[in-house]
Amino acid sequence: MRELALIVAVLAAFLCAPWLTDSGVVLNFLIMVLFATLLGQAWNILGGYGGQFSFGHAAFFGTGAYAMAVLQTVFAVNPWLALPLAILCGVLVALVIGVLSFRYGLRGSYFALVTLAFAEVLRILANTFDFTGAGVGLQLPLREAAGNMQFADKTGYLYLVLSFVAFGLMLSWWLRHSRYGAWLSAVRDNEASALALGIDALRVKLAAIMLSAALMAAAGAFYLQYFHYIDPHIAYGPAISIEALVGAIVGGLGSVFGPLLGALVLHLLGEATRNLMGDLPGISLVVYGVVLVLIVMFIPRGLSGLFGRRA
Amino acid sequence: MKSQVPSRRQFVAQTAALTMAAGFPLIGRAQVKAIKIGVLHPVTGALAFSGSQCRIGAQLAIDDINAAGGIKSLGGAKLEALLGDAQSKPEVGAAEVEKMNEAGVSAIVGAYASAICLATTQAAAKYNIPHVVDVGVADSIVERGLKNTFRFGPGYTTAAHVAMNNLHILNKLAGNVAKSVMIIHEESLFGTGTAQLLARDLPALGFEVKEVVKHANPTRDFNNIVLRMKAVNPDIVIPANYYNEYALLVRTMQQQKFRPKAIYSVLGGAASSFKFLNEFPDAAKDIIDCNHWFNPKDKRALALRKRVEAMKVFFTYEVFCTYTATMLLADAIERARSARREDIVAALAASSFANHFMPYGATRFVNGQNQGAQPLMTQVQGGDIKVIFPKEYKEAEPVFPLPRA
Repeated sequence: MRELALIVAVLAAFLCAPWLTDSGVVLNFLIMVLFATLLGQAWNILGGYGGQFSFGHAAFFGTGAYAMAVLQTVFAVNPWLALPLAILCGVLVALVIGVLSFRYGLRGSYFALVTLAFAEVLRILANTFDFTGAGVGLQLPLREAAGNMQFADKTGYLYLVLSFVAFGLMLSWWLRHSRYGAWLSAVRDNEASALALGIDALRVKLAAIMLSAALMAAAGAFYLQYFHYIDPHIAYGPAISIEALVGAIVGGLGSVFGPLLGALVLHLLGEATRNLMGDLPGISLVVYGVVLVLIVMFIPRGLSGLFGRRA
Repeated sequence: MKSQVPSRRQFVAQTAALTMAAGFPLIGRAQVKAIKIGVLHPVTGALAFSGSQCRIGAQLAIDDINAAGGIKSLGGAKLEALLGDAQSKPEVGAAEVEKMNEAGVSAIVGAYASAICLATTQAAAKYNIPHVVDVGVADSIVERGLKNTFRFGPGYTTAAHVAMNNLHILNKLAGNVAKSVMIIHEESLFGTGTAQLLARDLPALGFEVKEVVKHANPTRDFNNIVLRMKAVNPDIVIPANYYNEYALLVRTMQQQKFRPKAIYSVLGGAASSFKFLNEFPDAAKDIIDCNHWFNPKDKRALALRKRVEAMKVFFTYEVFCTYTATMLLADAIERARSARREDIVAALAASSFANHFMPYGATRFVNGQNQGAQPLMTQVQGGDIKVIFPKEYKEAEPVFPLPRA
């Protein structure tokens, strides 16, 4: 119950943010933290709870973003209707990747490499087909209205991404306390033993990758609505996959608040180094990298590990 | 004996006089408060070289404006650069705009790459911050109806059309020796958009487009593409890519001894770059490019080139494009007689800025695009980059087709 109360408190704090400040910088910072949290939460379901390390989560992110863009620009679907369809597309891609890789027993570094390869294949396909705009990408026409999921101020975007993160937090909490979550942890800790106990490891892992993809596709759809533009490199490039896994690892694998903590600390660190290092280009990234290495070296259980049992 | 101690009345009068005398310069300084300009480029990440070059151009322009007495219509107000790094990512560019807005910038110059410009112009539009685009060539940047966005230079549609028309004329003058082309382009917005236009329109001008090859950024090996090129054997190779890939492609062609009738670039990343010319003079020889270029007969451009080279910096298009874009902005502030954003937007929209060294004439903006903006055709000849087209800027006769090695 303490965890649930904490989830409510965190969400309430973000919910109140627009009343406390109207600073575009602060609100944009919070939006980007929540966006990174969502990426981390998605990765954490499969990588943290399920132990299946993926290097290609951009495959789901990009599919969500592209599906959202194509549905709006080609088929003139309202974005509120397009959103569940975009998430569904991400889930279907996850199902295909999951069946192909888990069915054939890929795990560890082999699974990581296969997911990376799938993301690359999708990037090349998006770069090739006309309906995805090929290398030019797709751009949303500017039509500012809540009905078009294009908000006049940042509060609307903050609440949109916050609702996804709230779902992610509840999902993580459920994984910690449900029977399915226990199965997933069992598969992560020892798949052979889990099989011996009668757990259908394939189905458990498939469900995990699909849940993970749903959050990732939602993040892709949000990115499109916020920046109104997507291209193959942004959608399926390695940067998104790395951001997802770094946030989750720094925050703490398999924890409810880990991705949020990781995203918050990494963004604060990024901002601090950029502001402290002034106008010397690149130095901030060096400092960021060094601090990141130190965190991973000295806090191997992640930041949430500092607060005791997987917070 | 009269006392030397001033009376109370005298003391008050003297103090008031002193205070006023001391305060006047402060009042004077307040009148010429510095005008903050956001200088936003990708100075780290994949586009760091180009972004840094842009930043140098903007800083030089700001130094020149301040040295010449600042904005005279505002009592000599100095321009103050507020530097931003987009880290080669659109979302970081948009976040930098937020910071610049809160820092109170009057306008923004940037942001080099098309994808970043799309994000930054849109973010700036929310606060009606005037945004002068220095390089970004994607047409969509000025086609979204954003009232705050102004592009001084040409977009890729203009560049591609100028390049195609000039190629047609060159070929005709040479007796239609070239009949086929092969297009090699990078995969993002600029390369793909340019290639699509070329592939669509070149057949109407009598050129068979034998193959269009797209490559990733970065690509570290062009051997297979050049082998394919040898098999296809086009008369003309048209590259449209960024510096590193361009340089590597041309060097690989040189290594594999493939010499078409011309290497004819459209906005080629290295084709009209003094950096490339300096590093690979043999590979650069005879390359024709349709690109952003200055009026070679304008002494101001030549003087700036000398200054930049004295700083041990290459005088690349990024430097002079951002330099002149910043000058355009300063001119608008001068005309606006105000540092308020809406006044600068109005001044830019009505701008007729002619005191520059680009071959554009006086500016005239329609939907944010400068109508006179045009690229020039250059060719590497005699260890230098010479303008070969159009005739009012011409420095040398074009060498086309290239003599067989």
